[in-house]
Amino acid sequence: MTQTAARQVTRAWVLLVLLTLLSLGAGGSGWTGLTANGLILAAAFAKGRWMLMDFLKLRGVPAGWQALFLCWLGLVTVIPWATAALPLLRG
Amino acid sequence: MDPAPAANAAPEDRPWGALSDLPGHPMMWVLILTEVVTFGLLFLTFAVTKAVHSDLFAAGQAQLDPVLGGINTLVLITSGWLAALAVEARSAGQRGAARLHLGGAMALGLVFIVIKAAEYAAKAQAGIGLETDTFFTLYFLLTGFHLLHVVLGIVILAAVALSDSVENLKTGTAFWHMVDLVWVVMYPLVYLIG
Repeated sequence: MTQTAARQVTRAWVLLVLLTLLSLGAGGSGWTGLTANGLILAAAFAKGRWMLMDFLKLRGVPAGWQALFLCWLGLVTVIPWATAALPLLRG
Repeated sequence: MDPAPAANAAPEDRPWGALSDLPGHPMMWVLILTEVVTFGLLFLTFAVTKAVHSDLFAAGQAQLDPVLGGINTLVLITSGWLAALAVEARSAGQRGAARLHLGGAMALGLVFIVIKAAEYAAKAQAGIGLETDTFFTLYFLLTGFHLLHVVLGIVILAAVALSDSVENLKTGTAFWHMVDLVWVVMYPLVYLIG
């Protein structure tokens, strides 16, 4: 096994586990609102980025591919935050 | 390891154009791109409908178990980690270790299915189904469609465990990581954000 690559993959996994526990704690504590939503979705973006770069191995591919997938990830995390904000802003 | 052809390689070395730059078989990336667009549209539909029916969605979400969803997230990301380690092991010529890691990834995929089935059974016992309301229609559509991809992913991992070239492992695990990635977005969207 290539030790450096395996260590990178394992480091990503540890971060993914920590961010999942953080999201679960934030969501399960009953903490709601724009800030809570923002933190939970930011954690989802960070997790998705690590998956793309270290699990799917997009770190070494041309920047255009990285940008395409990160744009998708950005859209699917920002749009839910914005649409969840609408009813909250309406009160 | 057999790296993807460099972007500046001759056209005859890059028969799939830009897709040749991605790890694994380019046809798998055509499928992955199709899937992320499809799931992206489903997420958009869920998010917009939630904004329109905010009270209904809040009531529906309150009936979900975020801990079960969180456990399933940990199960899938650990499975993805094992799948990624399988590629590293196979690249280093360690076929046995690669198959062991793939076996672990598939086993955790089955755990995900069992937990999801238990969740569906609990909903059925509570009298909740696809036609209960808009929230649960979308909940079952999104999670059910994803569950089908988990099943397909396990079949693909089993196939590449049998035919275990480095290229095949990269191809099969790329699909599995896509399934993992989609769940990482779906979990907060459906279970957590209010």
